[in-house]
Amino acid sequence: MKIVVAYKWAPNPQDAKVRPDGTVDLSRAKSAVSEYDPVAFELARRLADATGAEVIGLTVGAAAIDTPLARKAALSRGLDRLVLVADDALAGADGTRLAAVLAAAVTAIGEVDVVLAGDSSIDVAEGQVPLTVAGQLGWLGLSRVSSVVADGEGLTVERDLPGGVTVLAVQTPVVLAATADAVVPKVAGMKDILAAAMKPVEVLALADLAVPGAQVSLTTLATARPAGGERQAVLFDAADPATAASQLVGALRQAGAL
Amino acid sequence: MDFGLTDEQELLLGSLDELLERECPESYIADLDLTHQPPTSFRKALNEAGFGSLGFPEEFGGTPCDAVTMVLLAERVCRQGLNNGFGLELLQAMDILEFGSDEQKKEILGLLAAGDVPFALGFTEPGAGSDNSAMSTTAVHYDGMVTFNGTKTLITNALQSKYLLLMAKNPEVEDKRKAISMYLVPMHAQGVTTNRLDKIMWNISDACEIFLDDVTIPESCLVGVKGNGFKQLMRNFEFERLVIAATCLGLAQCAFDDAATYAAQRVQFGQPIGNFQLIQLKLTDMAIKLENIRGFVYKTAWMLDNDVPLKSQGALCKRYSAMAAFEVADEAMQVFGGVGVTVGTRVSRLWRDLRGHRFGGGTDEIMVHIAGRQIVKDHS
Amino acid sequence: MNASQSWVLVADDTVAAGLVEVARTLTTEVVAVVAGRLAVAEAVAHVVDRVVWLGEPADAPVEAFAPAVADLLAQAAPLAVIGATTPGGRALLGAVAARLQAPVLSGLGSVELADGHVVVTRSMLGGVSEHRTRFEGGTAVLAVDPRADVDTAGSPVPVEEVVAPPLRTARILDVKVKEHAAVNLDAAKVVVSVGRGLKAQADVALLESLAEAFGGELACSRPLAEGVDWIAKERYIGISGQHIAPDLYVAVGISGQLQHMVGVRDAKVIVAVNSDKDALIFAQCDYGIIGDLYQVVPALTAALRGTA
Repeated sequence: MKIVVAYKWAPNPQDAKVRPDGTVDLSRAKSAVSEYDPVAFELARRLADATGAEVIGLTVGAAAIDTPLARKAALSRGLDRLVLVADDALAGADGTRLAAVLAAAVTAIGEVDVVLAGDSSIDVAEGQVPLTVAGQLGWLGLSRVSSVVADGEGLTVERDLPGGVTVLAVQTPVVLAATADAVVPKVAGMKDILAAAMKPVEVLALADLAVPGAQVSLTTLATARPAGGERQAVLFDAADPATAASQLVGALRQAGAL
Repeated sequence: MDFGLTDEQELLLGSLDELLERECPESYIADLDLTHQPPTSFRKALNEAGFGSLGFPEEFGGTPCDAVTMVLLAERVCRQGLNNGFGLELLQAMDILEFGSDEQKKEILGLLAAGDVPFALGFTEPGAGSDNSAMSTTAVHYDGMVTFNGTKTLITNALQSKYLLLMAKNPEVEDKRKAISMYLVPMHAQGVTTNRLDKIMWNISDACEIFLDDVTIPESCLVGVKGNGFKQLMRNFEFERLVIAATCLGLAQCAFDDAATYAAQRVQFGQPIGNFQLIQLKLTDMAIKLENIRGFVYKTAWMLDNDVPLKSQGALCKRYSAMAAFEVADEAMQVFGGVGVTVGTRVSRLWRDLRGHRFGGGTDEIMVHIAGRQIVKDHS
Repeated sequence: MNASQSWVLVADDTVAAGLVEVARTLTTEVVAVVAGRLAVAEAVAHVVDRVVWLGEPADAPVEAFAPAVADLLAQAAPLAVIGATTPGGRALLGAVAARLQAPVLSGLGSVELADGHVVVTRSMLGGVSEHRTRFEGGTAVLAVDPRADVDTAGSPVPVEEVVAPPLRTARILDVKVKEHAAVNLDAAKVVVSVGRGLKAQADVALLESLAEAFGGELACSRPLAEGVDWIAKERYIGISGQHIAPDLYVAVGISGQLQHMVGVRDAKVIVAVNSDKDALIFAQCDYGIIGDLYQVVPALTAALRGTA
């Protein structure tokens, strides 16, 4: 069985500098494996250990996502090997474009049974791309996955949905996006970190992949800092909690907030 | 000169940070300090993530590691506020791995893997501290057995350990240096009794008196060569001094950060006390000392990694690091003022724990004895 | 492109009013494609101009109909497609976006038609900036909060059943329904929210008392709803949780990370309680108390009750 873990190497927007005109400077922000992706790595590793499958990491983006540190950071999380597409043509690409490239890479890897992904990315936080990947591949895509185990010929998948925990019998191939708390991922182990530099990495050229062209494009008409105003914090020191509390309540009543 | 981190070091530290956040928050350490308990769950978590086998030879399931990386990790764990948090178990185990029998090696490595402290170091006696060749605990070999008699004291982790790495002398050999041998003695052997000593620091490690009363066990407990106890002991002293220095660095950095944060927040006379020059003087000199300790520790580690003869470097490094680190903690206490001596403020624990490193692993004064002689020798 | 039509994607859920609202701002004709039970199709039939229903799902998950939905959309080529930001909705949107090779836009503020193009304002990168964006070259694909049940007053249009076999690779075996009181944070005027500053699950009671004293609802930041699971997931405020705009939001032991604050940006008044003077939240609140929540929260509760 082949399991591909599609993950993102991206900076936390918390570290971004937003200019007054609303454009964003991410040059000082350090990229890392996106916050919830380690859950997908962990699920993949557990599934692979139970079935003798291979775990292949996959990520796509601009040229800067391919650094030795970035490769090792992923490879130290239970991957057998890594596949990358790193091309500046993908800088600023929207989710559908990224999904098209991911899907083309999955097809190029060949005979993939499961694509696992995390809940949502640290920077865009929509949880859309894995499902668009499913659409590109023509496979079933299921999000909110809290458990996946091999069961006979297929998988038994549990999903944490608003209505309740839903249990499904699923046949491969399939795209599964995990919840943020499906498992507590193991910390990257020392042996894995030190062995990461030795694991195989394959870089696929964007030009060689069969990626359908975008049909619909977007034009940015304007950018701005979010409206919402500057809140002027009136602060109370809780050296004496009772006083601070009554001062706050007084202030709220005066402002008509209570 | 590259003062940067390799990718592997960055990833290891990142992983360690995650582990520390999950398994070793300040509340955990504070609780252990209060209840005098060892950090077993954290040790286990470290081992599960593989950190426990760093620095061990591959043939024993370990991953060889350079001294610089070991010191980076030790500093980071201690910076969390955990005294003796990393590296010391490795040190101890090295003695066995180098000189022990196959059976002894297997036993010790198994204990390490389980997250246990493999053994307590049984050197110090009431009459033999810095002057450890004055020890009087005897080991008499007879008919394939050996009998021990004597008293050890201030033995760290005796209650947590399955074994005692005992230094004892053959009463028939005159030359002190050639009389002492190293033995791996089970703590539960008949005739071994312990008495816990109450102390004010290193609360996560117990300290005991150990009474050996006609303890008789098979001779196979000998580690290495009879009479070579001293020589064997000295082998890993340099690395031990380095790890102690790294421990001091981490703890002192923690105390400094606490003090600097406090100075920025504590308002007296209408402004943060960090605005006052006397506080700024303290913080500046603390920062200088930390830079010095850091440079000393990493250069010493580099020397070890590059087979540059250490001579007295280890002693110099240990002496400076322990003393300067304690000064940093002492000034940190002063910055905190009254609140610093309350149990809820971490700096008081760091102060107590750092005080111990000025005599643990060799006193400040013995370091002078070692280095001083070497300096004069080099210049004659 | 059929510029006079918008399509809404309904994923087995009558909560779809938000989708239809957006569709109506763009076009006069709104078509709904419904994957899921007949009852859902019949409800939606009250608020749109045409309903295309893909048949009873039996034990297939709604996601299995995504390719069939994409086929229909490819044929119809409307001005816009609107789907829900729910698991099922996003799956249908994903297949449509892939088929049309169109980006899916979410975090939408306003949606309008300008010169025959769909133009939206949206929140970018978790809320750090806002863009005004125009679609060109084809169908606009939008992900929107479905908000509420459709209004079933008024007369429905007929439900057209289309034969559209779903993917057969999954079967629902069981649904373990969660028992929990329904919580409507949207309607609450006051919301008291707690974050990682809370040390133990037993301490949630402190915050429940405070919420009660305020006459408000309890909410939390992500770590308390996932991971430790101390508070129901429906109460988590954040970029992928609830977005609310109460009159008063009281954030206790919450650091003020972007990913949380974006969920309450439109609150009228924000109060923060945190022991860390440097916490990000103090730059994003109207009032704040720097102190230990274990002392401040009881003091606040007492002050509100007049028992201080």
